[in-house]
Amino acid sequence: MLKIENIYKTFNAGTVNEKTALNGVSLHLKEGDFVTVIGGNGAGKSTLLNAVAGVWPVDEGTITIGGVDVTRLPEHKRARYIGRVFQDPMMGTAATMQIEENLALAARRGKRRFLGAGITKAEREEYREMLKLLDLGLEDRMTSKVGLLSGGQRQALTLLMASLVKPKLLLLDEHTAALDPKTAAKVLAATETIVQRDHLTTLMITHNMRDAIAHGNRLIMMYEGRVALDISGEEKKKLTVEDLLAKFGQATGSDEADDKLLLG
Amino acid sequence: MKHSWRAGAALLALTMAAGLAGCGGQTSDKTQSGGEKDSYTVGIVQLTPHEALDQATQGFQDALKEAFGDKVSFDLEYAANDPATCATIANSFVSSGVDLIMANASSALQAAASATGDIPVLGTSVTEYGVALKIDDFSGTVGTNVSGTSDLAPLDQQAAMIQEWCPDAKTVGLLYCSAEANSQYQVDTVQECLEGLGYTCTQYAFSDSNDMAAVTQTAADNSDVIYVPTDNTVATNASIVDNICRPAKIPVFAGEQGICAGCGVATLSISYYDLGVTTGKMAVKVLRGEADISQMPIEYAPQFTKMYNKAICDDLGLTPPEGYTAIEAE
Amino acid sequence: MLDFLNALPGAVSQGLIWGIMAIGVYLTYKILDIADLTVDGSFCTGGAVFVVLFSQGVNLWVALLAAMVSGMAAGLVTGLLHTVCGIPAILAGILTQLGLWSVNLAIMSMKANVALNIINPDVLNKLLVSLRFVQDVSKGTRPFYQHPIFVVGVVTVVIIAVLYWFFGTELGCSIRATGANQAMARAQGINTARNQVLGLMISNGLVALSGALLSQYQGFADANMGRGAIVIGLAAVIIGEVIFSKIFRNFGLKLLAVSIGAIIYYMVIQLVLSLNLMDSNYLKLLSAVVVAVFLSVPYWKGKYFAKPVKRGGVNRA
Repeated sequence: MLKIENIYKTFNAGTVNEKTALNGVSLHLKEGDFVTVIGGNGAGKSTLLNAVAGVWPVDEGTITIGGVDVTRLPEHKRARYIGRVFQDPMMGTAATMQIEENLALAARRGKRRFLGAGITKAEREEYREMLKLLDLGLEDRMTSKVGLLSGGQRQALTLLMASLVKPKLLLLDEHTAALDPKTAAKVLAATETIVQRDHLTTLMITHNMRDAIAHGNRLIMMYEGRVALDISGEEKKKLTVEDLLAKFGQATGSDEADDKLLLG
Repeated sequence: MKHSWRAGAALLALTMAAGLAGCGGQTSDKTQSGGEKDSYTVGIVQLTPHEALDQATQGFQDALKEAFGDKVSFDLEYAANDPATCATIANSFVSSGVDLIMANASSALQAAASATGDIPVLGTSVTEYGVALKIDDFSGTVGTNVSGTSDLAPLDQQAAMIQEWCPDAKTVGLLYCSAEANSQYQVDTVQECLEGLGYTCTQYAFSDSNDMAAVTQTAADNSDVIYVPTDNTVATNASIVDNICRPAKIPVFAGEQGICAGCGVATLSISYYDLGVTTGKMAVKVLRGEADISQMPIEYAPQFTKMYNKAICDDLGLTPPEGYTAIEAE
Repeated sequence: MLDFLNALPGAVSQGLIWGIMAIGVYLTYKILDIADLTVDGSFCTGGAVFVVLFSQGVNLWVALLAAMVSGMAAGLVTGLLHTVCGIPAILAGILTQLGLWSVNLAIMSMKANVALNIINPDVLNKLLVSLRFVQDVSKGTRPFYQHPIFVVGVVTVVIIAVLYWFFGTELGCSIRATGANQAMARAQGINTARNQVLGLMISNGLVALSGALLSQYQGFADANMGRGAIVIGLAAVIIGEVIFSKIFRNFGLKLLAVSIGAIIYYMVIQLVLSLNLMDSNYLKLLSAVVVAVFLSVPYWKGKYFAKPVKRGGVNRA
């Protein structure tokens, strides 16, 4: 479903702040793969997701989603294939617009927007049902401004928006990092439900190794702009945090990894 | 939501109604015929405070005071050089029912003419009434409730003045602000006269005081003599022209006295005070009912004065011809 | 005070005309979240295009439409400078505004001021609005429906209705989303660059229409007529917001509040002039102070008079 071939990205090239964020990353995802991504600060996790989403063009390499080469497509055109949830709860929704308006925007992802109604009566009913499933009481506040919601409510809403039009690929960029543990668990549970229900091909970054091990059928660890570890199948099911740290040490030949990973 | 809609509609209706209701109370009849009234109110709308315009206003007020004494009162408003504010001021004059409006400068006249079709409007410091009011076949009389005085300087005589002072010059640079309609008109006319006298003319227009120095420099570099019309922007920034042209030994001839005092060698100018007095005398006739404003042709300045700037002439080594008087230092 | 009341119809008319410009400013400032300074130039462009075309005998409605299109073109330029050339929006607006100065002069055949021949009754009678009509209606020589307050009021209501509908459509919603959160908008497949250009075009189209109406109202277009328009527009937006934000929540009503804000602004100016409260040379200072005060009110309110936050009352998820 997703084919990343040998991509490179260097920021601030030619200046003192030069930073090679992606250093020849290749990654293939099969349809229905739920891949968790871990790695220390600056390992290139978010950069990888942004490269796939098309926030900026990559320097080298190609990205193909469902057989379509999207390497040269701008961000808004790739959005047709991709659903996204961001780390910052403010980023995934339009705070000054109503809950139902946000959903209506998401329902039109990848479609031409012209002078048709921004939201129809039938849609409102549909959204009400969907919001009921989230169990956050949002179905009674559909005309409230999203800015009035809590961080957890916003992330749940963003998740719903990302999956409203079934995406070929779901990108989750540490989407529970800014939430308190209880809320984070709730949002993560909702994520699992939606991914399973719709069989979504998913890339999920997390800073929490236990979450990375508990969710998904495959785990990759990034280090210095590359994929350092790639664990799947039975091996992934049996994985423990200790195994992971040991494997990481082997793969990178470094033992300073422990703290970095755990803290990062 | 329904409620606030209704409130909004009601509010809009209320505002509009309040506005419209105001109209009812102002049908006071302003009959001017039949001799003098006990008191007169004259509204003066002036585009901006400015030496020439101020003098015209002063002359106008003096002439009216001489005729009516304490019986005349003035409401003088400045539009802060904003054309749209002229309309606001004209509106307040018309609605308070002044006996006459004096409009000082073109956009003031245009706003006043828009504001009323029956209160007499006298303009001054307007160069061309045909241009200002977009009258295609202008005969010299506007023909409605509008008349006034023109500050048109004798442009052919100004061309002759340049020849009198600098017979050997070949090229004349015409320096003016492109944002001033009057300047464009004067420059075009003077150019025609000068070319008739055998000079080569080039127009140097600047858009505002920011690029004035650069344009003036170019003009000074490429001309033997520079001519400046009665241009408000030059008038307020005459020192820029002086700082460039005097060291370059390029004589500047000005369309009016104020500019000449700041940067010019000589001028053949009208006195805005006298122009104001002329306008004031027209106002007296209108207010007394002695003349019908629709029959009154546009009047011009009564006399022209030949003047020179002694300091600049001395620096440039020029001796004034016969008949010029030095501008007195203020 | 009577003078002020008598002058009210004129002030309200002028306020309504500027209100249309203010609605344009609202679209960029509040919806697109861009402070667009093109306005100072495109206001005059609208007036110049209208006066020049109308003087040449072009039909009034065609001339008004052309004025609006010219404003949209100005918005297009600012939009392209911002989105295609990557120039910050404020600077892009300033550049267009500066360039428009020359363009406006060129439209007026290099004259700083072009007039309508309102002395001629044939020309006057063809106009949609004129300062003259304010007096004529009160004297009864013209029917009430020619009163500028009525005419511009209807135009304003139509504009608000069209905008209300438009910003409820898929396209309109996507423009609102662009202004609210660009990252989110792009993630939802919205072409934010195109929407910004479109928003700037709509805004400047309204600004130019307002300029065309004002030049008609006052009888001339002048190269200086748009100077400071952005401040008047912002004043109207802010006055409307401060006074009506509690009661007007609907989008259409918010636009109405902007229009009423412009009317209030002009009533204040007229009050100052009519009562001779101050030397009229201080008008610009007054405008700046009014805007500064109204801009600081919400800030100070938030900073020093904030209601205490209810502890534990907010459900975190």
